[in-house]
Amino acid sequence: MRAYITICILQCACLGWSAEHLHQSIDRLIKTKAGGPIAGKSNDPEFFRRVQLDLAGQIPTSKEVRDFIQNKNPNKRAKLIDQLLANDTFAEHWTDRLSVMLLERQNLGKINDEDWRSFLIKQLKEEPRWDVMAYEMITADGKGDTRAAMRFLGNANHERMTKDIARLFLGMDLQCAKCHDHPSVDEWKQAHFWGLFAYLNQTKSATHSKNKLPYFVENLATKKVEFQSVFEAEKKSTGPYLPGGKEIDIPTFEKGQEYEKPAADGLPAVPKFRPRELMARELTSNNNRYFTRNAVNRLWYLMMGRGLSHPLDEVHAQNPPSHPQLMKLLMKEFAAHKFDVKWFIREIALSESYQRSSKLPQDAKQPDPALYITAHPKALTPEQLLRAILKATGNTKRVEALKADPNAEKFDRRGYFTGSHRELPSSYEEIKAVFMETFAQPAGQEEVEFLPGLNKALFLMNDRLLLSWLHPQGENLVARVNKLKDPKSISEELYFNVLGRPPVKEEIHIVSEYLEKQNSRRTEALGELVWSLLTSIEFRINH
Amino acid sequence: MEKLPPYACGSSEHGMSRRRMLGTLGGAIGFGSLLQPTIAEQIRNHGKRVCLIWLDGGVSQYESWHPLPESKFAGPFRSIKTSIPGIHFSELMPHTAKIAHKISVIRSMETKDPNHSSGVPRVQRGDPLDRGVDYPYLGSAIAKLAGPANPELPPYVWIKPGNGGFIHREAGFLGSKYGALALGDGKPPVHIHRPDSISAEIDDARNVLRQKVNERFKAYRHASEIDAYETSFDLARQLMARKDIFDDTKLSAKDQDRYGSHPLGRHILRARQLLEAGVRFVKVNSYHWDTHGDNFNMSQRLVPQVDQPFAALINDLEDRGMLDHTLVIVMSEFGRTPIINSRLGRDHWPDCWSIGLAGCGIKHGAVIGKTTKDGAFVDGEGYDIGHLFHTIFTLLDINPRKTNYRHKGQKLAIANDECEPIKEVMM
Repeated sequence: MRAYITICILQCACLGWSAEHLHQSIDRLIKTKAGGPIAGKSNDPEFFRRVQLDLAGQIPTSKEVRDFIQNKNPNKRAKLIDQLLANDTFAEHWTDRLSVMLLERQNLGKINDEDWRSFLIKQLKEEPRWDVMAYEMITADGKGDTRAAMRFLGNANHERMTKDIARLFLGMDLQCAKCHDHPSVDEWKQAHFWGLFAYLNQTKSATHSKNKLPYFVENLATKKVEFQSVFEAEKKSTGPYLPGGKEIDIPTFEKGQEYEKPAADGLPAVPKFRPRELMARELTSNNNRYFTRNAVNRLWYLMMGRGLSHPLDEVHAQNPPSHPQLMKLLMKEFAAHKFDVKWFIREIALSESYQRSSKLPQDAKQPDPALYITAHPKALTPEQLLRAILKATGNTKRVEALKADPNAEKFDRRGYFTGSHRELPSSYEEIKAVFMETFAQPAGQEEVEFLPGLNKALFLMNDRLLLSWLHPQGENLVARVNKLKDPKSISEELYFNVLGRPPVKEEIHIVSEYLEKQNSRRTEALGELVWSLLTSIEFRINH
Repeated sequence: MEKLPPYACGSSEHGMSRRRMLGTLGGAIGFGSLLQPTIAEQIRNHGKRVCLIWLDGGVSQYESWHPLPESKFAGPFRSIKTSIPGIHFSELMPHTAKIAHKISVIRSMETKDPNHSSGVPRVQRGDPLDRGVDYPYLGSAIAKLAGPANPELPPYVWIKPGNGGFIHREAGFLGSKYGALALGDGKPPVHIHRPDSISAEIDDARNVLRQKVNERFKAYRHASEIDAYETSFDLARQLMARKDIFDDTKLSAKDQDRYGSHPLGRHILRARQLLEAGVRFVKVNSYHWDTHGDNFNMSQRLVPQVDQPFAALINDLEDRGMLDHTLVIVMSEFGRTPIINSRLGRDHWPDCWSIGLAGCGIKHGAVIGKTTKDGAFVDGEGYDIGHLFHTIFTLLDINPRKTNYRHKGQKLAIANDECEPIKEVMM
């Protein structure tokens, strides 16, 4: 913490900034634009659940919420934010988030999930720098300790790499620009697609002749990439070229001088001119406003539920950011802070704009989500949802410990969904897979918006595994409330555990009424009360 | 410069409305609504339906729609008279021969792809010009373009052997909510069933509790996400309430007799029930039509399995007054070679093959398409799959020249730009 303050002071002094912290500037600019009434500050339970979900990927326990409400320290929110950012759970949760964002649940290439996750976790535990992470993903060639970063480029398909780098690191969905200038986005040209392509088209997957590990190697680049619009007869060509930059000349070498290193050690010769490396350097440099703008927009989205430019891969002049000045400021400061992801997240979390209630202010009509007048509802990710359901129902420990029985018949996941396989999944791995199959987007599709669906609702209503967690077992939630007598303590235990807040009077009344009506089947009725909270919108979103 | 849909509306109203979610597989707060609401409404009120019977692998035209017993490529089967004077089908299609005057046959399909792996998607996507995107298959396309016929039911149901579930891959760039509710072996996904531990009464009670929690939350908040989430539960409950249309035990014995007790017969009967209930598009898949070896024994076993239930379906739809607004298509990804190979099989043949069509403005008793004498090639212009898609859309009152998808700001034709509807098969 002290280090942070020192750095901030030094930087402020060097750059001659005013005393305003970034989070204060955020609030000033959001307020100015809002014009009308703004939602008040979130209450403690609302803030606590939100920040736990965003920074640790978890809903809080009942005790944690109660302690936080009791805590009288006026700085408790800031302290909590710093604690959460320092925890390993931050690294793990943000590994989930970044991994889903960057890979879109595709399993391409030869790097396994575990190694890829370790790569991200290591970065996030230390000082995660967006430019460094992007650089490592784009340059990865299988050598050195960042070999797992190769997973981002997958199977080295040139068109896919071009599209992914443009979308995920520049905020440009250049799909349409492959065959012609973009039909509705004036500034996106076909040359943008092929200019990026020209950095990547020498890369190919290889297997080391001795150790059999995967590598990316580069062929010798000798000529420009040719392309032609489907609407024009004229053929065009381009060398490597970044949006907003200049085309790079492909150098020619005398015969025999093309290579920096000869083929050796099971790998082919290394050319002197390596465009992919050049791309990584230029693309992630702090002069590249496309890169910085995309980074800022995506991190802002992850915290605030909506990009300043939205959709996230449609960042261009015709889709201006909701808050242009704020975007500019965030870009400037993020670059000045060396793309420090944690610093950036911390500033957002400290802002009133982040800590605002999701409840509408008095007299406000349906707000434009782009104004951030209330906190924007964010869907729990599939990973968060499973963790939250287990934690809320008090089944985390037991279920996470479930290991597949090597002698048992293999779990048939497809059969489970069609009804031909009646056994419930018996290992945590399978349970996770069942949840991902239900709640995650199909591989290759972005997971940005909240996507409720018929199959998801049917699963929450009728899945036998999920319903089994509502039977009393060990010390789970239903077992615990089953021992309680009065409706008030029952309601409190239910609401604190599932929704992370105390119940209001009216809700205690509903619980009491239901238990009275179902008093011949009290245990089941308690399960149904838990179910009604689990399937509520309040549980399903981070609000 | 045309504005992109996300910003054209300029307000928070671009969130998802309940109506946009009804009858899909779920709600996306996606953008890019295709049609003006009023037009969409009109089409929705229009009850036109589609049933695609897909004979995967490729049915032989010689052993079905186009027998040519005099041809040097003919097999051992006779041809029989149909209810249209002068028109003959293979003797393996006695039931369909009797209703030939109610349907049309195109004998001059000429498509481009001789491979299963690329041919199936190519044909079911209508072989559009390459626009760099994954086009939706016909069922997902109709789900998007026409919406649900009955908002309580998903617009696209796919009946197939093997596994079912919620299958998204056919939706292409339209996104997962335009995928199919697939009935594996005719059965719905298991989660449509309430577990035995929960009675109907308790199910109602627990859902009332859920709604009460939501009501309180909603009172202070306005977000399209909240409505979409509630709607997904409403849709799920509506579907559970209509479980009867998925229930095999509810099929009458007499119906099963008329359609045949084999899977394809039962699945086509199920399709009829779903169409009656208001499902917009039903695809029925049958596999193993790829008769590279032993084509004649296999055809003798397989062709009657589509002949009987297809004819029964046409008759039933007519009896119910539904045929005029239900389009039925029987087809494969290609036909089979004229030449009989050394294993008494026929190989893949996209150059000249046949499909059957009925209902919804298809002519009664038209048999179109000239071929060379022995049926190997189209004589004159053949029809590609793009022409068929133009025909299908036109019959469903979706103008393929004026209607476009909109994807990422790009206008995309719904059918191959270079094709036209097949006028001679339309009334």
